[in-house]
Amino acid sequence: MFGAFRPTSSLYGGLLWKIPWRLSKFQKQRQRKRLRAVDTVVATLDKALGKQGITTKAVERWKEEMPIEQVMEPRDKYTIFDRKEKKYRKSIRKLPKWTRVSQRINPPGY
Amino acid sequence: MSYFRITLQRSGIGMPKRTQGVLKALGLRHRMATVFYPVTPEVAGQIMRVKELVSVEEVEKPLTKDEVRAERRPDPGFYLETAAPR
Repeated sequence: MFGAFRPTSSLYGGLLWKIPWRLSKFQKQRQRKRLRAVDTVVATLDKALGKQGITTKAVERWKEEMPIEQVMEPRDKYTIFDRKEKKYRKSIRKLPKWTRVSQRINPPGY
Repeated sequence: MSYFRITLQRSGIGMPKRTQGVLKALGLRHRMATVFYPVTPEVAGQIMRVKELVSVEEVEKPLTKDEVRAERRPDPGFYLETAAPR
């Protein structure tokens, strides 16, 4: 009944995904919060450097390339491009360390 | 002269070596550790490396370790009365 060889449906049936494809509304809310937290950090850096008239490549590049949370599309917030998936999208939670990395842009057209 | 007040919110465990190295270089060894650095492009670049893990504020003066600790101390809920002079 217990142990490594217990008869569970995932062991008997082979492929059984128990992880829901979609994020729950609470997970999505926390994801948006994390995105906004990163936006705040970048905004603080930009403001502090701007007061001294300095520009930094890393900050400038981020501002140029990365959309802020408010203008991101929901599908970019919660899903990620994958060429092997049906419809080329999979849940962002499949991304390793997804709560601690920035993944905002996907290939255009997908 | 203003300073960055950097607090490590998320642990660097499991992140790439370069990211963990930046945290070490900033002196952020534990979660909720706070460090102060002057506003320079070098420090800004380091923060950009770990922007998902930290929270940053711009402050006028760096606080000492004791002052940061005192900030976190909750209100004791009482105060001691002193004898009135007669």
